[in-house]
Amino acid sequence: MIRIQHLTKIFNAGKEDEVRALQDVSLDIQKGSFVVVIGSNGSGKSTLLNLILGSIFPTSGKIFINEHELTMQPEHLRSKWISMVFQNPGNGTAPDLSILENFRLASLRSTSKKMKIGIDNHFRLMVKEKISALGMGLENKLEQPMGSLSGGQRQALTLLMGVMDKTDILLMDEPTAALDPKSAQIILQLASEINKTLGITVVLITHSLKDALQYGNRLLLFKSGTVVKDLDEKQKQQLALSDLYEWFA
Amino acid sequence: MSQFYLTALQLALCLGPMAMGIFISMKVFNIPDITTDGSYTLGATVTAVLISAHFPLWMVLPISMLCGAMAGTCTGFIHTKLKIDALLSGILIMTALYSVNLMIMGRSNIPLINTASVFEQFHFFKNEQLNQLSTAILMVSLLLCFIIYLLNTDFGIAMRATGNNPVMTKALGINNDRIKIMGLAMANALTALSGFLVAQYQGFADINMGIGIVITGLGSVLIADTLKKWFNIKKISTQILLVVLGCFVFQSVLAFTLSIGIDPNMLKMVTAIFVLIIVALPRISGGWVKK
Repeated sequence: MIRIQHLTKIFNAGKEDEVRALQDVSLDIQKGSFVVVIGSNGSGKSTLLNLILGSIFPTSGKIFINEHELTMQPEHLRSKWISMVFQNPGNGTAPDLSILENFRLASLRSTSKKMKIGIDNHFRLMVKEKISALGMGLENKLEQPMGSLSGGQRQALTLLMGVMDKTDILLMDEPTAALDPKSAQIILQLASEINKTLGITVVLITHSLKDALQYGNRLLLFKSGTVVKDLDEKQKQQLALSDLYEWFA
Repeated sequence: MSQFYLTALQLALCLGPMAMGIFISMKVFNIPDITTDGSYTLGATVTAVLISAHFPLWMVLPISMLCGAMAGTCTGFIHTKLKIDALLSGILIMTALYSVNLMIMGRSNIPLINTASVFEQFHFFKNEQLNQLSTAILMVSLLLCFIIYLLNTDFGIAMRATGNNPVMTKALGINNDRIKIMGLAMANALTALSGFLVAQYQGFADINMGIGIVITGLGSVLIADTLKKWFNIKKISTQILLVVLGCFVFQSVLAFTLSIGIDPNMLKMVTAIFVLIIVALPRISGGWVKK
């Protein structure tokens, strides 16, 4: 699914403030897996996600998705495979547009946006159905601007928007960092459900070691730009929270 | 007295497309585009030259709009591809257009006397002024329908999202640069359409007719913005209607100023002060409410 070969990213190369964010990382992520990435700040996990997303480009190394090389492809061309949920709930939605309009755009992620009215009754009902499954009571607020909702609500909707159109990969960069514990659980459970029922590959960055233990079937620990631990589902199940704390100590 | 306001209405309708254009660049895309001064004159000069050469109006209209679109494309290209500040990109193209406009006309002024005019195509009434007015209303209504339709299409939603949250649109497969260039092209095509209308309405094109015209459009959009906040309007369709209304309010204030006998030379000053008041008023009153 995602194949990463000898990926290196150096910011400000050759200058005094040179940062080696990622150093010769190679990874193979299987289709349908739920990979949880942990590591302290500056360990390179967000850099990896942004390289996959295409918002930055590597210094060296290669990235493949479904055997297509897209190392240097711009972000908007990769979006047919990748959905992204950002840390800031504001990044994933357009605040002045209605919920319905946000969903319409998300449903066209991999296709062109044509000059025809796309929001019809059929579409409205479909969105209503998906949103009511969240149980947040948002299904009757479809015409409301996104900006009028809370961070948790926006993040949950962003996640739903991410799978409105066919997608292979869901990237989540600390999606729950700005949320209260209850909203955070809703988001992660939803991600887990999406992973299981739709078979979408999920890569989740988190700082919550508890969540890292509870969710996912593969665990990666990043330290100063490299992967220092890579546990599969079995190894992960045998892990205790105290082991994780030790790694960070 | 009412003559002043009828003229104001007529002029407001002629300048309506430009105000819609500024709404698209400033409010939809969040880009301060001041190519307007140049592309408005461009629309007028192209119109004057082609009409004088007896081109049929159905050809003059799209050609003048196309020229405006080209000017907008240049600004958009400089802004997005060369990463130059939008304001400066607009100023550069506006400045260059001054020479282009002089070149097109070959002199600084072309009068349109005894030539074809879009305002003489329909004869709904006996009164000439009413005919002009109804022609303008017809054109602006058609344009409004088109723009409202456009902004509600999938492409229109993509346009609005790009100005609202470019991080999101990139992740949703939208080429932000391309859609911005298209938006600026559209905005300046609309501005050129105003040039087309005004040149025929006032019966001449002049190299200086565009100076400060951007403030007229800006004022209309700001009036619309204030109304939008007052009445808590969220629908994009209503907002674009308010822009045309704002244009009329703006022209009425200018007409009122002239009607009470203020020196016409002071008109630009009055315009500037009026816009300042529109911008400052909601901020000052907002501050009071907060306290």
